[in-house]
Amino acid sequence: MLLEILTPDKTLYAGEVKGVQLPGTGGSFELKENHAPIVSSLTAGTVTARTAEGDKTFEITGGVVEMLANKVVVLA
Amino acid sequence: MANLKEVRIRIKSVSSTQQITKAMKLVSANKLRKAQTAIVQMRPYANKLKGIMQNLSDSIDSPELSAFFETREPKKILQVLVTSDRGLCGAFNANVGKTVRTALNGKYKAQWDAGNVHLLFIGKKGFEFFNKYKNLKLDTEYRDAFQNLNAETVFACGDRIMQQFKNKEYDVVEVVYNQFKNAATQILVTEQLLPVVKPASETKATTQNDYIFEPSKPEILLELIPRSIKTQLYKACLDSFASEHGARMVAMDKATENAGDLLNALKLSYNQARQAAITKELSEIVGGAAAMAG
Repeated sequence: MLLEILTPDKTLYAGEVKGVQLPGTGGSFELKENHAPIVSSLTAGTVTARTAEGDKTFEITGGVVEMLANKVVVLA
Repeated sequence: MANLKEVRIRIKSVSSTQQITKAMKLVSANKLRKAQTAIVQMRPYANKLKGIMQNLSDSIDSPELSAFFETREPKKILQVLVTSDRGLCGAFNANVGKTVRTALNGKYKAQWDAGNVHLLFIGKKGFEFFNKYKNLKLDTEYRDAFQNLNAETVFACGDRIMQQFKNKEYDVVEVVYNQFKNAATQILVTEQLLPVVKPASETKATTQNDYIFEPSKPEILLELIPRSIKTQLYKACLDSFASEHGARMVAMDKATENAGDLLNALKLSYNQARQAAITKELSEIVGGAAAMAG
């Protein structure tokens, strides 16, 4: 699935991932391939992208994530 | 007829001025390109934010969010002035100042007289414009944001404004800035930041995709609305930054052109003076020779 992490300044990450772990407002959770469409708010914490070359982490201060048709967009 | 040396000195000074204005124009053109890139980079973020907001628009009336939409009697006003740090960009900064002054003398006259108008500056020139005005509270905490423009600083500013609005320190918050249309055109706009203007005519979510909303629609909106307000403010700053360089580029181009005209006129009078001197010398020699022969 495709992951995009966007900030107002730049695109932090864009690429293929196997899964992504997110700091949800109600607790940490992970989105995998073929997850149902979801919109969730995020708190400050670490976003972990499970890429083919291992995990990549990004610090965010809060935001929103939307997943639709195997495309995840994180607004940090 | 001007004397030769004087004209020569003037030509020198005008052409060095022309060199400076030309260099400034090139620098601005370069900075404009960078500023435009920043606007372009922010666009996907803003679009996505808008898209998600639209999906949630049916929950916008929930009571948790009323703090952002509450319309109170406009007693205490905050105007955010986005200007540049430097001059030499035509009427760019003066336009912002004039617009705010018109508002002060017009619709906010009563609030101004009561001392309830606060101005927040992003960019130094706006502050210089209103420095000597009485009965205004000038807020300079974020005045130097343009020295290193990034989302973090502007977002912090946005957070503070929202907090003050919620605490009822302000009833209306407006931002005045130059919107970027293209390199040669800026549009001066006054946008209401708070209370949030509800999106006109309920545009229903285009395709209902049966989203799972985690934790709930209003709570997500509670995160999204401040974010979109801050993004709006940040966009104003980026727009103003690009507009500034566009305006400076145009101003410097005009200056270079004017210097060129001046230079042409000076060169003409220099050549005339030189020719006059030569003619005079020749006629003296001829006159002298004729006297000797006679």
